[in-house]
Amino acid sequence: MTTTAADTTPRPPAGRAGYMPGEPGMWFFIIGDLFIFAVYFVAYMIYRGQQPELFLHSQQFLSPGIGVINTLILLTSSWCLALGTEAARKGNSAAAFRLLAATFAIGALFPLLKMVEWVPKLAAGHSPGENLFFMYYYVMTGLHLCHVLLGLVIIGFMLRHLRHRASPDIKFIEAGAVYWHMVDLLWLVLFALFYLMR
Amino acid sequence: MNIATAALAGTLADSGRPWYKSPKLDQYICFWSVPVFYNLFGLVFVPLSWMMPPRSPTNSIDGVVAFMQSPNLLLATTILILCVALSAVGNAVYMSQMRRMAVSPVLRYAFVVGAITGAIVGCLFPMFCFGLGAFREGYDPEVLQLLYDFGYMSFIGCLGCFFLNWSCLGLSILLDEKQTLPRWLGYYTIWQSVTEIFAMTLWVSDSGPFAWDGVMTFWFNMLLYVPWQFIVYFCIYRAIRQQPESELDNAPYVGGAARA
Amino acid sequence: MTEYLRNPLTGVWFALTAITIFSWWIGQGQGSAYQLDAAITVSVLVMAALKAVLVIAWFMEVRLGPAWLKRTTYGWASGLLVLLLLFYWLRV
Repeated sequence: MTTTAADTTPRPPAGRAGYMPGEPGMWFFIIGDLFIFAVYFVAYMIYRGQQPELFLHSQQFLSPGIGVINTLILLTSSWCLALGTEAARKGNSAAAFRLLAATFAIGALFPLLKMVEWVPKLAAGHSPGENLFFMYYYVMTGLHLCHVLLGLVIIGFMLRHLRHRASPDIKFIEAGAVYWHMVDLLWLVLFALFYLMR
Repeated sequence: MNIATAALAGTLADSGRPWYKSPKLDQYICFWSVPVFYNLFGLVFVPLSWMMPPRSPTNSIDGVVAFMQSPNLLLATTILILCVALSAVGNAVYMSQMRRMAVSPVLRYAFVVGAITGAIVGCLFPMFCFGLGAFREGYDPEVLQLLYDFGYMSFIGCLGCFFLNWSCLGLSILLDEKQTLPRWLGYYTIWQSVTEIFAMTLWVSDSGPFAWDGVMTFWFNMLLYVPWQFIVYFCIYRAIRQQPESELDNAPYVGGAARA
Repeated sequence: MTEYLRNPLTGVWFALTAITIFSWWIGQGQGSAYQLDAAITVSVLVMAALKAVLVIAWFMEVRLGPAWLKRTTYGWASGLLVLLLLFYWLRV
């Protein structure tokens, strides 16, 4: 196995073929997940339209401050991951490892902040059963949190993969990265729908 | 005989021989029990008894009593007693493919536990609940309400077991280097199993989109589950066809000197 | 370290952060009363879609991808935005 890794940075495509990061089967899952969440987002908007006062009133109990910090957390961890993927392609495994470690460390703050956000709310009596808004809120952000936790596990595997390897499996790194970016993407919409919109 | 020749011999033998002499006859019998099971299941639960789509959790007590004492339910449960065991055969068809995969057996053990639990909770419990209610006249409406709730909670609530077993199937497919089943099917399986988690909300909501008959918990799940179920069995059929006969468990015993 | 600052991905991150903070500020509204507000909703959703497209194009590298992938992912973002605005408008 060669120790000099080639620069496999994708060039802008000459034709329509393009370069697909990760493996094709994985995009089935990514696009499928985006589709599922999109259906839930639209359903949320429809149900919100039926009881706007209830939703507006309940929305006040959320913590937009923690929400925006969580958004910035995910965006920053995605940025580190994108830089790390590029570094891995260039053969710079050490830099890639550091950047992915940063991704993990920053990303791990998300579930912690989620607990800081949820526990006082639950203690104050705002449970999923309170009304439709809170049900949607806990279910959607809860499902998203499960995706975040799975993403952290995947990044953990990527870190282990990168640790002692001069030429990592780029497709695997890209696949994991695309998954994490999708998790980030979903949160951007969740943040707008639950915390910001009126 | 090397692997390539054996595989070729297997395929040729498959086509040049009557179906009842195929060494894969046992697998095909089990496989074809699946559409029989699903058709019976569908007939029993839908047009015969209208157990499905689920009645509303907020049904009035009179509505509940009328539904639970309907004689159609008795006919439905009679048929169910006969066909519920076919679900085990259907799951065994999955298992026979998972056995071929180059993954640890722990995944198929977990699969079969999830499948058994799901079948007991999702099929047997509703059968007993709805059949019991119709069995005698004169049950207290409160008792019928309890059986009604119990039956539907079990039917929809068993999805947690299926989340486990479909995840094991998906993971097996993805980790299997032999690609017994195609990789995209592994991603598809894990994707559709995610929707089964939404069933959790039925305990908290008795109306609206998160109730057991809700848009989010029931209808959207069905929309994603049904096509996936068809596609999975289609892929399994293809996998059975493509399996080299020399790999079969009955290979040493099936007649013919050519199959060594 | 400085090569990261010159990397276009860092520029994308700055843009995403700026849009996020701006949309959060808009989402705070004028006062403490939470009322239906189409201006806030529309601007917040449009900004979310914009951020989504940036993440898809630059972080997920779809800008380098095959045409069908671009159509599907950008289509998802724009279609979702249209549907959300539509159902918001139908009830407001």
